[in-house]
Amino acid sequence: MPTRKLYFEAVRLGDEVPPLTKGPVDRVQLARYAGASGDFNPVHVDDVHARSLGMPSVYAPGMLVMGMLGQLLSDWARGAQPRRFSVRFSKTVWPGDTLTARGRVMERWGEAGKYFAEVDLWVENQKGELVLRGAALVQLFFSADDENRQRAGQPPLLVPAPKESLRQPPPKPPEVRLPPAPAAAPAKKAASAARKAPPKKSARK
Amino acid sequence: MLDKNAVGRTSPPTLNEVEKGAIRRFAEALGDFNPVYYDEEYARAAGYPTVVAPPTFPACFHSSADLRELLGVTVKSLLHTEQTFEYERPILAGDRIFVATRVADVQERTGPAGRMDVAVLEDEGRDEEGALVFRSRRTLVVRSSREP
Repeated sequence: MPTRKLYFEAVRLGDEVPPLTKGPVDRVQLARYAGASGDFNPVHVDDVHARSLGMPSVYAPGMLVMGMLGQLLSDWARGAQPRRFSVRFSKTVWPGDTLTARGRVMERWGEAGKYFAEVDLWVENQKGELVLRGAALVQLFFSADDENRQRAGQPPLLVPAPKESLRQPPPKPPEVRLPPAPAAAPAKKAASAARKAPPKKSARK
Repeated sequence: MLDKNAVGRTSPPTLNEVEKGAIRRFAEALGDFNPVYYDEEYARAAGYPTVVAPPTFPACFHSSADLRELLGVTVKSLLHTEQTFEYERPILAGDRIFVATRVADVQERTGPAGRMDVAVLEDEGRDEEGALVFRSRRTLVVRSSREP
């Protein structure tokens, strides 16, 4: 049966990963995930326990939410091999929350017959609040032709693919020297002026 | 405060057998019905030798790590703040993977809620030949009480 696959030649910088909406999260899912993962921390399954700790109710383990983001990644990158997948958790997910996972292609490059794409990934709740933010690196075949060759034991297609990136170089520290106090107010002003400088520059482009 | 000498402490490798049923239940719990997690024929057509595990599946692997022993404290509560997986290859049904947990870092940070301890634990999964399959790093904010 033919399965749709993602190939490097079709990946463009800035491509949006098709969003995935999950939920609402309910207590049955929390119980299922506890069973499947072997993590029976009572804060995720026992409301009485969670309230005794001052929580309004049980809440979802971060790894369940990362798992949902993994579905977005795998659905998009069918046929590709994830190399790295990382997240930082920022907001608690409660029963009743509906989550939307999203992503965007930030970098793509190839070297020595191996082709890679890096995506930014994130999950928002129904209020539009960021629940977690992450990124993934996937390795892809260049094309169906490349995949067929490699599966037949032939060397990979070598196509020049220098690194393309949407990532901003890290901002330079502001050059503005704070005047040698005691004037606290002007010093603040100088610092805020320095912070404002980079966006102004990009707005002119 | 966490024991700074804990860094480098490693639990002995523990065998994890990747069962098809465990993969299916894990994918079901995520509400992810991609047939590569359920259907061997489909997985083969998609280029895998057999059913494959979802990317966060290593979260359910056991290691013999005892946090109290590894970190040298009694853990009162844990907050999982960051997670990274690195994969050498897909994890497949039938794999036998040995998982060991190492304390990669221990730090004391001062946040809005006062002092807190941050521990980074790194799991390493290897196959029977000793080849690396995956690495997993967990960053945990640890609230602890010293052993009396």
